[in-house]
Amino acid sequence: MRVEQKRLRKRLFQYRWVYVLGLPGLLLMFFFNYLPMRGLLMAFQDYNPHLGLTGSEWVGLKHFQTLFHDAKFYSMLRNTLVISGLNLLTFPAPIILALILNEVRNAKFKKFVQTSVYLPHFLSWAIVASLTFFLLSSEQGVINKIAVALGGEAKAYLFSPGAIYPIIVLQSLWKGVGWGSIVYLAAIAGVDQSLYEAARMDGATKLQCMLKITIPSIMPTIIVMLILKMGSIVSVDFEQVFLMNNAMVKKQLEVFEIYIFNNGIAGGSTQYSYTTAIGMFKSVINTSLVLLTNWITSRKGYEGIM
Amino acid sequence: MAQQNIKNKKLGMKMKENIYQTVLWIFLLAVVGTMVLPFLYVIVVSFTDGSVYEAGSFYLWPKKWSADAYQLILSGSGFLNALKSTLFITLVGTPMNVLVCAGLAYLLSKPVPGRGFLNKYVMITMLFSAGMIPNFMNMKALGLIDSYFACIFPSVCGAWTVMVMRSFFQSLPLELEEAAEIDGCGQLRMFATITLPLSKAMLASMTLFAFVSYWNTYFNAVMYLTSTAKATLQVYVQKVVLSSTVSDVVDLQLELAKTVPQEVMRMAAVVVVVFPVLIVYPFLQKYFESGMMVGAVKG
Repeated sequence: MRVEQKRLRKRLFQYRWVYVLGLPGLLLMFFFNYLPMRGLLMAFQDYNPHLGLTGSEWVGLKHFQTLFHDAKFYSMLRNTLVISGLNLLTFPAPIILALILNEVRNAKFKKFVQTSVYLPHFLSWAIVASLTFFLLSSEQGVINKIAVALGGEAKAYLFSPGAIYPIIVLQSLWKGVGWGSIVYLAAIAGVDQSLYEAARMDGATKLQCMLKITIPSIMPTIIVMLILKMGSIVSVDFEQVFLMNNAMVKKQLEVFEIYIFNNGIAGGSTQYSYTTAIGMFKSVINTSLVLLTNWITSRKGYEGIM
Repeated sequence: MAQQNIKNKKLGMKMKENIYQTVLWIFLLAVVGTMVLPFLYVIVVSFTDGSVYEAGSFYLWPKKWSADAYQLILSGSGFLNALKSTLFITLVGTPMNVLVCAGLAYLLSKPVPGRGFLNKYVMITMLFSAGMIPNFMNMKALGLIDSYFACIFPSVCGAWTVMVMRSFFQSLPLELEEAAEIDGCGQLRMFATITLPLSKAMLASMTLFAFVSYWNTYFNAVMYLTSTAKATLQVYVQKVVLSSTVSDVVDLQLELAKTVPQEVMRMAAVVVVVFPVLIVYPFLQKYFESGMMVGAVKG
């Protein structure tokens, strides 16, 4: 026992400077990831800023009970699931893009395409929302200008409850398709080339090669990506939704974070406890889903995130 | 005869291949068009002179060019304040992010006592977040509301960056460090003179990722920076383009504001804010396809 302790102390001493190097990061995580968690206690209180966490009255699960009886909660859940579900429909897009890019012979052209399609990933949602505005706004939008020039009528797409979900999905697709294709391109690059040579000897066509060799070979990657995507089904890109929100589509775009922001932070609102409870509910679901999906992927023998 | 047949067949195959490639090119060019054309359009309109501008018409090439819109934007205190905010956040945050993450990743890459616990400590931050209100309350308790550091600190040490860096450090050959250790090189010096220089490419791409993410600071600014003068460039562009509070950030009393059409001004604002990202992007691009980035995308 004493020997072990001595050895431990020796190793701690040996690595003392390495600990010093890691310390700032550990401290920042403590202050900005762990310390905020004490605020989760608010979800079980009727939090009053004047009384603080220690002085406020404890109410147990009251806020969670309210939550499950709140019609608003179900509409927020529905909106989130609709947006995530529609986004899921675009899941094959990066795969298709990668497959097509892989067929291109000219290396320079391939590089050029890749450069262009990765770009939107680095733009902020504020810029993407602005570009959407330039495309779709009723007076200044390109589409409406063309429609009017052709004798049609301008439509306020950005204020139309029917159009807002497709707009959100197309934005995500535009921003993410190129970036999403990287992982598949890497998977395709890893496919054993001798398979293609053998297939070509047997007279296989390009399409047959793609369907019988490429796609089965990258299937593990596709499955992992799909499972990971399922893990984030209760999250939407909050900045995107926040920026596209307006009075006319409020009902369609009200997701958890929008409600939390509007009723917990913006404009002197004070529903601290209730909004904390909503956030906590979402975080718990999210974490469970991520753990679940990670467990599934690792059980299937694919490397998970951890 | 047989030879002729083979020749024809080969020619036919080549034709087929060419047609196939052409179809691919057309499809991909269409995709690229959706990514690139919006920028070209925005740039062209932003340089259109007010005298040739007519609301409701569509421009591919203005009859008269002018940089008035840029002059209008750059002369307003709204833009300069936003630029100052974003520059501060980006220039302070980016090096902090890279160095702090590298330090922690180095610790996790060594067989130090307590490594299992430290790994979990980092991973949990990726799995569970306290949520918006607790984060806000915490920021308040720390006295960081309306401070630029509220936009910097929370994203300095990200679990994802640390994990990517850790695997990179672990993949470095151990021999160099062992040799240095025998020569009596201290751990800090080893980190600074061996590990970091060996990781230049990885650090460069991480720097650029951090740069872009700080440059794009939007929601943290909305939440934590309460004084209007501290708004970041992304908030600025949102105000100019998407909200009815343009007068907050652009001095509409100026003589220029009367001649520059609103639409042209909006596009100029977008160009100015997006410009630095377009500049750093080609440097970033070099590192995309390396294995590390693939792991990164998956995470």
